[in-house]
Formats: sequence, C-alpha cells, structure tokens
Amino acid sequence: MTDFKLPELGENIHQGDLVRLLISPGASIAEGQPVMELETDKAVVEVPSSISGKVKDIRVKEGEKVKVGQVIFTVENGSGAKAEPAAKPVPAPAAVPQVAPQKTEVVPQKEEARAAAASSSTVPTSPAVSSSFGPSEFRLPELGENIHQGDLVRLMIAPGAKVSEGQPVMELETDKAVIEVPSSVSGTVKDIRVKAGEKVKVGQVIFTLEGGASAAPEKPKHLPVEHVSGQHSARLAYQMAVQAEGKTEEEVFKPDAPSASLPSFSMPPQLGKVAGTEHGEPVPAAPSVRRLAREIGVDIHQVTGSGPGGRISEDDVKLFAKSLLAAAAAPSATHFAEPALPDFSKWGKIERVAMRGVRRKTAEHLREAWNTIPHVTQQDKADITELEQLRARFAPKAEEAGGKMTVTAIALKVCASALKVFPQFNASIDIGKEEVVYKQYINIGVAVDTDRGLLVPVIRDVDKKNIVELAAELTQMSKKAKEKKLQPADMEGGTFTITNLGGIGGTGFSPIVNHPEVAILGLSRSSMEPVWMNGKFEARRVLPLSLSYDHRLIDGADAARFLRWIAEAFEQPFLLSVQG
Amino acid sequence: MTESSNLRIAVVGAGPGGYAAAFLAADLGMNVTLIDPELNPGGVCLYRGCIPSKALLHVAKLIDESRHAKNWGVEFADPKIDLAQLRSWKEGVVKKLTGGLGQLSKQRKVTYFQGTAGFENSTTLRITKNDGSAESLSFDRIVLATGSRPVIIPSLKLNTPRMLDSTSALDLSDVPGSLLVIGGGYIGLELGTVYAALGSKVSVVEMLPGLLPGADRDLVLPLHKRLEKIFDSILLNTTVAGVKEEANGICVTFDGPDVKEKELVFDKVLVSVGRKPNSEIPGLDKTQVQADAKGFIKINAQRQTDDPAIYAIGDVAGEPMLAHKASHEGRTAIEAIAGHKVAFEPNAIPAVVFTDPEIAWAGLTETQAQKDNREITVARFPWAASGRALTLDRTEGMTKLIIDPKTERVLGVGIVGAGAGELIAEGVLAIEMGACAKDLALTIHPHPTLSETVMFSAEVFFGTATDIYRPKKR
Repeated sequence: MTDFKLPELGENIHQGDLVRLLISPGASIAEGQPVMELETDKAVVEVPSSISGKVKDIRVKEGEKVKVGQVIFTVENGSGAKAEPAAKPVPAPAAVPQVAPQKTEVVPQKEEARAAAASSSTVPTSPAVSSSFGPSEFRLPELGENIHQGDLVRLMIAPGAKVSEGQPVMELETDKAVIEVPSSVSGTVKDIRVKAGEKVKVGQVIFTLEGGASAAPEKPKHLPVEHVSGQHSARLAYQMAVQAEGKTEEEVFKPDAPSASLPSFSMPPQLGKVAGTEHGEPVPAAPSVRRLAREIGVDIHQVTGSGPGGRISEDDVKLFAKSLLAAAAAPSATHFAEPALPDFSKWGKIERVAMRGVRRKTAEHLREAWNTIPHVTQQDKADITELEQLRARFAPKAEEAGGKMTVTAIALKVCASALKVFPQFNASIDIGKEEVVYKQYINIGVAVDTDRGLLVPVIRDVDKKNIVELAAELTQMSKKAKEKKLQPADMEGGTFTITNLGGIGGTGFSPIVNHPEVAILGLSRSSMEPVWMNGKFEARRVLPLSLSYDHRLIDGADAARFLRWIAEAFEQPFLLSVQG
Repeated sequence: MTESSNLRIAVVGAGPGGYAAAFLAADLGMNVTLIDPELNPGGVCLYRGCIPSKALLHVAKLIDESRHAKNWGVEFADPKIDLAQLRSWKEGVVKKLTGGLGQLSKQRKVTYFQGTAGFENSTTLRITKNDGSAESLSFDRIVLATGSRPVIIPSLKLNTPRMLDSTSALDLSDVPGSLLVIGGGYIGLELGTVYAALGSKVSVVEMLPGLLPGADRDLVLPLHKRLEKIFDSILLNTTVAGVKEEANGICVTFDGPDVKEKELVFDKVLVSVGRKPNSEIPGLDKTQVQADAKGFIKINAQRQTDDPAIYAIGDVAGEPMLAHKASHEGRTAIEAIAGHKVAFEPNAIPAVVFTDPEIAWAGLTETQAQKDNREITVARFPWAASGRALTLDRTEGMTKLIIDPKTERVLGVGIVGAGAGELIAEGVLAIEMGACAKDLALTIHPHPTLSETVMFSAEVFFGTATDIYRPKKR
C-alpha cells in the first residue's frame, strides 16, 4: 500500500483548505491526475497525484485544513514516488484549452457553440472515477474574489425539469452585481435545496440531479477568479445555440410543473426548522427578559449574561442597552445600533422592500467610509473653453474607436497625471500597522448610475492609456454596468474615483471618499460664466470641481495644490504632455 | 393599544391558533371576524384530533388498568363495551368544549361566519357561508389559520369504509377484528392503542427502522416493548406496496427486507402517514403570499407573510404541526399587528405522544445533538428507583436531562412513562428560564410524585442522587 501525502505547495505555504476532492474510494488514479482542489492563502490550486493505483482509503474531508506532508489517501498496488515533490501542484489555469467530450445533446444543432460552452467551464473528467455515485448535484461555483455568497433573486428551474450545461438556473445578486448562474451539469432536476430570497454560499448544494448525464461525482471543475467569464461565455454560447434554432430559451426548456412532494412526517419540533424563527440557538434568558430586549431594541444574542450558566437578567439587558447608547454617543463608534423606527403604517400605507445586494452594500460601505474618514471637500473651477474646442475636434476620433469623448474621459487622463505628481492621493492608510500604502499603479473608478444603484467600474492603468483609448473603455464599461454585465473583478482594485453629476446638473457637491481610497473628484455641470481676463470680462465655459479627501493623510494645502493642478491641466491640456 | 383598536381583523380558520388569535384581538379592542366551516370554533384539534382522541385514550387506559388490576388482587370481569355510549360521551366532550368557545366568541363580540373564505385582493375576502350566501368584506389585516389535513397517498386510496384516516377512525363506527395502521408516527400509535384496548388485533407498519421517527430511541424503547404486548405485530423497515378490497377485508401487499408474509388481509386499514398544510386558499394568487415547496406559507418572525397585510399561523405556516405552537403564534401575530415589538422566539416547543406510556420531550434531543456534533451530558433517572412509579406499578419510565457540560444549562428534557405529558411542562419552563442543573436539583419537589424524577435526574448529573447510586464519571 502506498500513501499520497500533500506535497510542498510553494514557499511559505504550509497548509490549505480542501475545497473539493476529485477522487473517491475504489477509483483508479494515474500519476499526474488531479486529486483535489486546495485553497491556500494565495490561490486555489489543483493538486495532482504523484502515485497511481486504486484508491483505497481517503483520509481527509472537504472543508478540512490539510497540512503539507499529511496523508491524503492510500492506494492499493500503488506505484510511484512516495509524496515526492516531483509532482508540483499547478495553479488552476486561467483559461482551459481542452474541449470537453460531447454530452447528451438537448439542442442538437450548433455543436461548436456547445462544445465551446462546455470547454469554458469544464475539463474532461476521468471516466475511471465516474461510477458508483448517486444523483449528481450542482453546487454554487466560485463567483470571484471575495465573493462568498449572494442573494438568490430567482430560480429558473423546478423539480423534474431538465437542465443542460450552460442553461441558466438562477439569478444571484452579489454585493457587486446580479449574475445569471449557468448549470455545469445536465440531467433532470430532482431536489432543489435553496429558495428565492435566501442567501446562498459558494459551495452550497443548489440542486441534485437524477441520473446526471454529466459525469457524476466530480462536478466539472470550477476555476477560481476567471470562472465568471468562463460561465459567461458558456451562457452566451448556449444562447446562440438556442437562437440558432429560432427559439427562445423558454420554449426550449419549459419550466416543468413541480411534482407533488410528500411532506415528511417530522414530529420532533427542532426549533431551527420552525419557520420564521430567527436563531436556532436558544438564549439563556427568560421569555420576559427576551421580550424586554426586543422592546428596547437590543439583540438578545449579543448580551452577555451575568447569571449562572450565562443566564441573562433584565439588568444585563438594560446595562447592555446603556453601553450601546454610550458607544453611539462616542465619536469613534462605528457599529452602533440605529435608533428604533416608529411604526410608519400608523400614518398611511407603506411598503417594505428588502435592501438587497447593491443597495445594502452601498449603505454599509458609505457608512463605514463616512465613519472612518474625516472628510474635507475642496472646491475649485476650471476654465475648459479651450478644452471644449479640442474635445469637439477629437470627438470623431474617439467615435471611430467606439467611445465618446466626454469630460469624464478627459478627467481620467488629467487625474492620472495629477496622481503621478501627488502620490499621496494614490495611497491608502493601514491604520492597524500605522503605515501608508503607496500604489504604483493608477486604476481609476468611475461612478455609474444604474437602475440597480451606484456601481463603480474601474479603469486600469489609466496613466498608460491615451484619451481616445480611455474614452472607448469608459463607454464600454458604462454600457456593461447598465446592462448588468459587470463582473465583480471589473469593480475591484481602484486607487482613486471620479464621479460626474454634470449630466444632471448642479454647481457643486461633497462626494464621499470611496474607502480605502483617500480622495475622490466630483465634477458638476459646466456653464458659461463671465471671467475677468485680459482686462475685461469674457464669456468662458467653466467646470466646477469638488475634491473630497481623507484629512488624516492629506493636508488642506496639498489638496488645494492638487485640485489647482487638475484645474490647470483642464485649462492647459499641454501640461499633461509636459508633466503628466 | 388605542391606535390598534380600530383595526378590522379577519381570522380564517378557528382552530386553536385561529381562535386564540381572534380572542386576543378582541381583547385588545380590535374589530374581529372569525371564519370557519364548523358551527363553533375548535378546528381539527377539538373536533377531529387532540380532544376526541384523548377522550378515547383515557378509556383505553382504564380498560388496560382494569385488566392489569389482577396483579394487585382485584379482578374485574371482561368489559362490556357500548360503542354508542362511548361515542356519545366523546362527542359530548367535543360539544361542551366547542360550545364553550362559541360562547366566549359571542361574549367577546367576535363576528363568527360559518363558512369558507377566499381572497379578492390582499385585504378583501369573499366569504361563502354554509347556507350558500356569500359576501365580500374588507379588512386591515387578515390572519390565515387554515390548518392541515391528512396526507392521502394515491396508491393507498380505496373508496371503501374499510379504509380509515384519523378522522374516520375517531368516528368509531365499529371495532374491527383486525386493524392495520400504516405509519408509526404519533397519530397511528395513539389510535392503534385505542382500537387495541377495545379488542381489535392491531398491526403497525412503518417504513423506517423504528417507531416515532425523530424521537430519541431510549424514550421510544419502553413504549415499543409495551406495544409489542398489546399489538399483534409491529412491522418495521416495511412499506405497503398496495391495497385491494376483497370480500372479507382489505388485502395489503408488503414490501421490505424483513417481510415474512407478503400479503395479509385486514378488516380495516388506517392510513396515518402525515399531514399537509391547507394552503390552497382560493384567490391566494391575488395576494403577495408565498408558499414553500411543501405548501407551507412563508412567514417572518412576526408571522407576517410576504404580503404585509396578511399573517399566517399554525399548521399552514410550518412544522411542527402542534396546537400549542399554533396558539402561541396566533397571539404573537396579533400582538405584532397591534404594534407591539414581538417575535415568535420560544426556546422550546414541547411534543407529547399520548400513548401508554406517554413520551414527551422539549428542547434539544440527543439525536439532534449528535447530528450537530454538539457536546452534551445526558443525566438519566430510571423510574425503577422512583417510589411513586413503584406504587403505580409503572416502573418502565425514564426521565432525562440534556445538559451543556460547560454552562450546566438544561438544553433539553425527555420523559417516557405514565403521565409524561404533564411532567414535561416543568422541563419546558426550565429551558425557557435558562435554568441550570443545579436549579432543578435545589428546587424542592413534592414526595412521592413522578415530578421528583426531574429533580433526581439533575442530581444524577452531579453524581449525588439519593435514590440511585451512580457516581459521576471522570
């Protein structure tokens, strides 16, 4: 018998979380075949086997921490090096070139499109392993960095319905965007484990299949980070295939009527299962004390009991409420309870709507930014008369490139140049370590108003692109934002933000800094104003600028200089090529 | 309460949840309409469930004890059973209770409609009365308390009086020579016990490997042993593949690894495989109310549905389908409507199986703790060491506490034995109050009673029980 131990994964990596096992007992494995997906601090890696034989005994479970050198599984009649580092784990590739074997066709035409769909989200699975398991299941795949869950907006399948790979099965609203999640498995839906409105976590089982046509045990591998775009192309390919048939998706896959399910006969009242109970865990507080807490707006689960066994008394609740009030009064408090609301329905009809994804995230994020950052807003004006002439002249060029030569596009270039000259505006504060983080890249976020709320797609390496390129990219990004096609990764990694309300109107405002950035530039509507120059008033086009900044890092004088620099760059675009 | 006093409330369904809600609403000064097809409030619980079955179980227990009395030197002749008299007594109990509720309803000035209701929109009900007339009325808030009904499995549906459900079984039209009970849950076992005492040869068939699935096995064991004596047979791991009516009864085909005889004929068959929510309310699609896959109406902690004007309580709003849970929910919903800051947040909902012996539990079970991989200490007190149990000649019972070893808090209580249903209330209070094992051990319990076993089991936890030598481990 031979053991397979977790090989060295790289410098300073001693362990990882086992995301998914790709083998099962009794399966034959060959050297080099991937046996598991491991999430380390740095990435999700696929670990290939360094031995071959028949898997006897698996010693680890999904979700466990696994250490380098730990035995993962044993094989019978094994051959191959014993846990030699020869088998270096390969980070999951960003794009998977292989083409999956043809699956049972639901849409017979457009095989290429389907193959393309399959290839972007799956890799061929080992036939040796795909036996002996019951119905396969579909788990929520990785959606992107730092996204661990989402709100299930809408299910597009019902028990008994047929799904095929690439077919959208649900709409998920994450903090950053609404995503349609396509299936990576094919077959008949047996059991749906989630409900609309619920939070769904990455890795959670969404539904199970009866006799899945796709290889059962190891679901098609989901690639981290790049996965969303893989899914996206699978989705597009699927849509193309359906359209090629001249049908709509609904015609191809009619949602089946749900089959009547027999209610389980569950007499034991497990409180966790009682509808509408907020917490499974009972609290050591008498019913009267729990009622008091609710009346004065205290979450009883946060109160520490002073009595035997942690029992919570009335006094404990009152003390806790007092401490909340004290914390709320203190300026540094970040998470105080909001004051209780009156019953609005007393005065007329109301409607309550859940604060989902984007709106909730915006609320949390802005409150945090407002509470963390001492804001100051500096106002200035830029004479853009000359710039307007240039803009009109170069507009056709930008249009050729597929963009619109807007003030925002020019502001991107201006800000990038200014950030190079004033690096403290392209920084973040690490208060825990008492350090300032200066970023040597310039990625600028642009606030976009969509019907789902405010989204901030990020334009990368702004300093390395010309205005025509920036105009094209900006147009494309706003379009994506409005069509709900922005991927989470499109909204990450910004170092500075621009928000332009000029299209709507106004003469100035105080934007809130997009934490952990340290400054944000607001543009208002430009207008013709009399400007004293050359001994007389002249009609000039003037653009109001509002710069909010983190006063912890940036002094008022620096902000004034920075904004003046920007104003002058707008006035004399030549500055950009000289200093920017 | 002044602001809520003008509210017009409709409660659809007058079971224990519905009438509790309606009466509280009336007490708070609201204008209340209660709608139910029966003559008086009561619902399944009073008309066709808890109350009539308990009346019959009381009789069953008496018959059983009269037989057992031989051991104590008292011998009775075989009982002569007058079914008509038994039925009329049972119906008398039901009438007295429901009639009383009708009185209470009038005293509270609740408008009672005998009929059914459907939605025209979120705040308007179309009420069809039993006399055929109909009217549409608007309300500020509507509480759905439509309850549940027995599940009918298509393969077990035969249109013959030989096939019973819990309702027809309680009608007690005769005492069949042999009765098969399909489903080893509490309803099947309670009714099986009644028919066995009255003289039927009762068999129970259960798909799962044990009776009362979900309950802790140590609580079920004493009951199982006793049922083996009073029942003809208990078939576990067995499903019913089919039923067909023959001249002399119902021929039942069994399927399962332990099946000895594939086909057996019974005079009657009782199907008690569960209940399902009555959520098919006409016009519900004109509201924003949502139901889950099992048909339960979705609600929040205040029992409010996805439609802000509509609340749902009791069986139709989810498991466990128990009357006492429904009443508590009904009161919670009305308090929420009245603008009080409340939520349905019990620490324990007790469950009682009224067989003989009774089984009762509340809070965390051992089975659940194992599933959750949660560390617990279980303190058991066998009734063989209880003086009171000995005097009753009922020593098969047991009381146990599920205790958190770190805080010594009582998380769960389980009791099997005569009168367990009454004893569990102390356990529920202990869990609700966050009591520790010490609190129970230091509370003086009256002697000699079965309630002492709760105190004794707390002492067992500390290894210092007077009446049993069980030193603390470790």
